[in-house]
Amino acid sequence: MANYYDKLFELCGFEYEEIEMERPRIEASFKRLEISPEDMERADSWVRQNHDISLEGVRKLLGAWLKELIDLVLARDEGKKIVYYGFPAILGPGLMLSASSEDIFVSAPDMVLDHTMGQIFNKLNPILEAGEINGLPPGHALCSLWQAKVGGIAKGMIPVPDFALASSYYCDMGSKADDLVTALYGVPMAYIDGIMDSQWGEYPEYLPERVHYLGTQINQALEKAEKVLKIKIAPGAWEKSRKSSQPFRDKLVRLVEVMKADPVPLSIVDLELLEALSGSSTGRGIQEGIKAMDILIHELERRVEAGEGVTEKGAPRVMIRLGHTSDPRVTRLIEETGLAVPLTFILGSWGGVKVNPKGDYNTPGEIIADYELAGGYYYGTEGQIKFYERAAELMKLDGFIAQYLYNCRPVATISHIQKKYLQEKTGLPVLSLEIDNFDSRAYSADSLRTKVETFAEMLKSNKR
Amino acid sequence: MLTAGIDVGAATAKAVIFQDGKIIGYAIQPVGHDIKLVAHETSKEALHRAGLSISIEDLDYIVSTGYARNSIEFANKTMSEIICHAKGAHFTIPSTRFIIDMGGQDSKAIEVDQDGNIINFAMNDKCAAGTGRFLEVMAHILQVESMDEMGPLALKSNEPCPISSTCTVFAETELVVLRAGGKNRNDLIAGVHKAVASRVAAMTANLNCNPDAVFTGGVARNTGVKKYLEEEFEREFLVPDEPQIIGALGAALIAQTQLLK
Repeated sequence: MANYYDKLFELCGFEYEEIEMERPRIEASFKRLEISPEDMERADSWVRQNHDISLEGVRKLLGAWLKELIDLVLARDEGKKIVYYGFPAILGPGLMLSASSEDIFVSAPDMVLDHTMGQIFNKLNPILEAGEINGLPPGHALCSLWQAKVGGIAKGMIPVPDFALASSYYCDMGSKADDLVTALYGVPMAYIDGIMDSQWGEYPEYLPERVHYLGTQINQALEKAEKVLKIKIAPGAWEKSRKSSQPFRDKLVRLVEVMKADPVPLSIVDLELLEALSGSSTGRGIQEGIKAMDILIHELERRVEAGEGVTEKGAPRVMIRLGHTSDPRVTRLIEETGLAVPLTFILGSWGGVKVNPKGDYNTPGEIIADYELAGGYYYGTEGQIKFYERAAELMKLDGFIAQYLYNCRPVATISHIQKKYLQEKTGLPVLSLEIDNFDSRAYSADSLRTKVETFAEMLKSNKR
Repeated sequence: MLTAGIDVGAATAKAVIFQDGKIIGYAIQPVGHDIKLVAHETSKEALHRAGLSISIEDLDYIVSTGYARNSIEFANKTMSEIICHAKGAHFTIPSTRFIIDMGGQDSKAIEVDQDGNIINFAMNDKCAAGTGRFLEVMAHILQVESMDEMGPLALKSNEPCPISSTCTVFAETELVVLRAGGKNRNDLIAGVHKAVASRVAAMTANLNCNPDAVFTGGVARNTGVKKYLEEEFEREFLVPDEPQIIGALGAALIAQTQLLK
């Protein structure tokens, strides 16, 4: 029997049979998420306004996020042992834990809430506010991702985890927020410390000591996970998890190839759905993402053949760092100014721009560390900036929009050197754009429009 | 060929009527609650000053700019105020290579080439420090009638009080404490101006401040800010005769270019 949410789920790529099968779970999770019939009209128009629902692949991606949300909300009820990790993630440990037992549910809950309660239901702010009154107050330059995680737990929307992997390899605020979760709810956690700093001029080389250090941290975290969760990680868990997620990476490479077309065939807002899924899911999202990508790549190849795209042919092409995780309007405004966005930093790091790992290591932690350091993201400033430089050639870029969050040290502190270096090395203009990619309460799309419009005019003028 | 540029910003609306390479009329009005009405009224006044008894819709082309640019229904095209200020400043002072524009709620630094095309730019983010609004708040605390009147008082100071807070609200508190401590009012005013100039200079770290440097926007009428900007950048800033209409002038120039395409 049809229900009030059926239309929204159909809009998000669910088949009727899938809705029927998921119905009890949808209703149980919606009750906890405080989603009611009154929310459907807003969600429907929000999705239609911000996503290219003419593409089945995009609708399926939205559906994949909804499935991740339902799985997350009901993980405790369904007897799972729950592990949370922070974003940006070193996915390896999470993938290994997922591969070790079907009873383990691993998630980056903040990203799941952002992409669903934000991007689909436009109802994230009450969760952020709950985070603010539960230990992460407003006005303290605290990351909204952590507010979403703490707020979601505080409101009882998402379960208290059994174990947390603290992302202190990248961001010290993440581990402090996890400290808070431990203090409030007694959650055991493992810190994965890494070394971001490196000598300028060293990339793509990296010292084996760095791999060893990060690798040891990962190995220790996995050992602790085994004890806390009372599981045994199978010897082949890394290979198994790599194998099951390999099609996702392969398809991402194909997608990056498709995005080289002019005009660009897909909005960056929709590309971001995929990109974030790659960094936030170790479970159903990966497999659902693979299915969605199969459809999407086919649809986009047809668009390319027909010479169709989301911006005009010949539009200036820019790479951005990361789209807005919860408010698609903010990302969309870039395309509204006539700029084409074929790539984001994070998608590129998954899909073909990276250097190969050294491959000289044997323990799971070191293999993962080797892989992550080669990727550039966890290497340090130079690795990240060189990545942009390589992407300029790969995607035939005309400029960069390097967004940074004022309260994000890994990103904000490199914004100046990034702009200077890229302008000098590539000769392309760089717009350093202060923005909060996780929370639109402090910045509206309109306040950013003037800067982006001006930058777009600059690039158009350069192309004439 | 009769064109107009309408610049509706946070504090004021400006309209420039342009014909055959010359400004033939302009007007400035405070922005009230009705954006569309003020845009219409300001344009009407500019037309009247130009000696034209026609309506705004009769003009050949209109470009709107400023925060409310998308709300101006009678405009043929919209353009960001950064581009308009670059065009307007370059037209007024053709040797312009660097522009500081300070308005009610934002400040911009713009680097341009010999044709007035933008090479690089920076704009304040969500913070009001370094804007006209910062000065207005401080003028209120120090009981000076207007922002413009503060400039000459700042110039009388020999020892500006350091205002270290970068947040408008915290700077307000800091000023109250300094005032309670018996600091000279002109030194406080000078400190406020120095703080504004310092914030703007910090924003331009990635830009080249090449001569000729030009100061535009409503705050450019303030001689105190000009002085401290020149100290910060160690160079002279030229101020157009009517710095507040430079954005609207740029919009009118772009309108003319559109017609010539």
